Amino acid sequence: MAAGSGEDTAIDMTTSEKVVDLLNQAALIATESKLTVLKQVQELIINKDPSLLDNFLDEIIAFQTDKSMEVRKFVIGFIEEACKRDGELLLKLIANLNMLLKDESVNVVKKVILTLTQLYKVALQWLVRGKVVSEMQEACWDLVTQMKEDVLAMLDSDNDGVRTHAIKFTESLIITLSPRTPDSDTPKKQEGDISLDKIPRDHSYIRCDALCEEGKSALDKLLKFMVHPAISSINLTTALGSLATLARQRPMFMSEVVQAYETLHANLPPTLAKSQVSSVRKNLKLHLVAVLRHPSSVEFQGQICTLLLDLGMNQNEITRCTPSPQVQRKRAR
Amino acid sequence: MPSHPLRVAVVCSSNQNRSMEAHNILSKRGFDVRSFGTGTHVKLPGPAPDKPNVYDFKITYEQMYSDLVRKDKELYTQNGILHMLDRNKRIKTRPERFQNCKDQFDLVITCEERVYDQVLEDLNSREQETFQPVHVINVDIQDNHEEATLGAFLICELCQCIQHTEDMENEIDELLQEFEDKSGRPFLHTVCFY
Repeated sequence: MAAGSGEDTAIDMTTSEKVVDLLNQAALIATESKLTVLKQVQELIINKDPSLLDNFLDEIIAFQTDKSMEVRKFVIGFIEEACKRDGELLLKLIANLNMLLKDESVNVVKKVILTLTQLYKVALQWLVRGKVVSEMQEACWDLVTQMKEDVLAMLDSDNDGVRTHAIKFTESLIITLSPRTPDSDTPKKQEGDISLDKIPRDHSYIRCDALCEEGKSALDKLLKFMVHPAISSINLTTALGSLATLARQRPMFMSEVVQAYETLHANLPPTLAKSQVSSVRKNLKLHLVAVLRHPSSVEFQGQICTLLLDLGMNQNEITRCTPSPQVQRKRAR
Repeated sequence: MPSHPLRVAVVCSSNQNRSMEAHNILSKRGFDVRSFGTGTHVKLPGPAPDKPNVYDFKITYEQMYSDLVRKDKELYTQNGILHMLDRNKRIKTRPERFQNCKDQFDLVITCEERVYDQVLEDLNSREQETFQPVHVINVDIQDNHEEATLGAFLICELCQCIQHTEDMENEIDELLQEFEDKSGRPFLHTVCFY
């Protein structure tokens, strides 16, 4: 650690010593207090004094083999925060995350999926920012890509919750790997996120067209997943919501989305119980209304209205949710 | 068992009767529970069906209690409203509106379909950030004291079963089916994401 002015050094020493002390405590105590102590360390080295992050990275990561699943989940959260703070850390931490993706606890695996949903974007942004990509960065991106494939394959997991998380990952991946267009309805918090349109066509390493194909292939996987005859009610609900998000944020996929809604409406999985059918139909209605409200729904309004009438909505309600032609024209310009 | 105590929210319209009865029982059983209403205002029965007492969500249970004592102590004692407000103020200070709460839950239980729809509308209108799932289940409960008590026990039993699953998300579908058969009530169930 570089010595600063007298006062700064004193503060640094204190924080650093405090971290050492907390880490020593954490090694010896029971899970619940261990988590409290580790969270304090995280606060100190990520938010209070990030210059300490590098020094103590290995000590924190060592907890990834802790026997408590909560501690392992903490390490995953820490990796996410650290990499968001400094993309370079991906070089070191992505392999740890990959190990945790193969953890025996489904709760740990699910937490890794949530983190990868965020870090996939962080990694892409980090690679695109530099003009030259080093061999180490290439290896890191290869591993991220492999993990992406592993999570997509989890759409076929035996575990319902893992599948739910895989669907949400797929949704986010499709958004990243497709271009934002003027009619995209982008949530404020995601305005700074990377997407295909922000990747330079002449980038030395990242191939836009290849990523675009990966995005389309992910959409195909999601659509195929949805028509599985034994899909669970919760997975179906999750997928319906993901499709609505896709239609609004990437209207270029609206045709596929409306088609998928029509197919589902006509062929609800025979495995659903009566109340599950009510829940799914209610969800379908909610998401169809969300899609209808988007100005780019104009081409599909006929199909959407037919579905909504079938689902028990009356014409007046439907008209209230249909954007006025002025709004559509304004958007089209 | 899930890794941490389930964070449960019980939601009815005015955060007075059904959600508070469940809040009371669940907190006595050690759950990490909060309760809410989804209405624009808090409504309590008045001297006639078309004359309800309407309050803002900012008003405390204590203030409502004093207001009703002043208006007609006998009526509100006899119909149980004062007793209910007295119970409520021992649990928390004032009713809370679900749409104004940004805390995250694992499980949200609603007490009627209209409230379920409002919860879904609210959760779906929020910007997704972490993709952390929240399960929303509707259990229909009529808005009177007896049904609120029965409903609260059913909600409590349901929460206990969910809390004791090895892997909640993998088992919840099946568990709800069993509960439907046992209780003879249909449940609406969905998942939303934070």
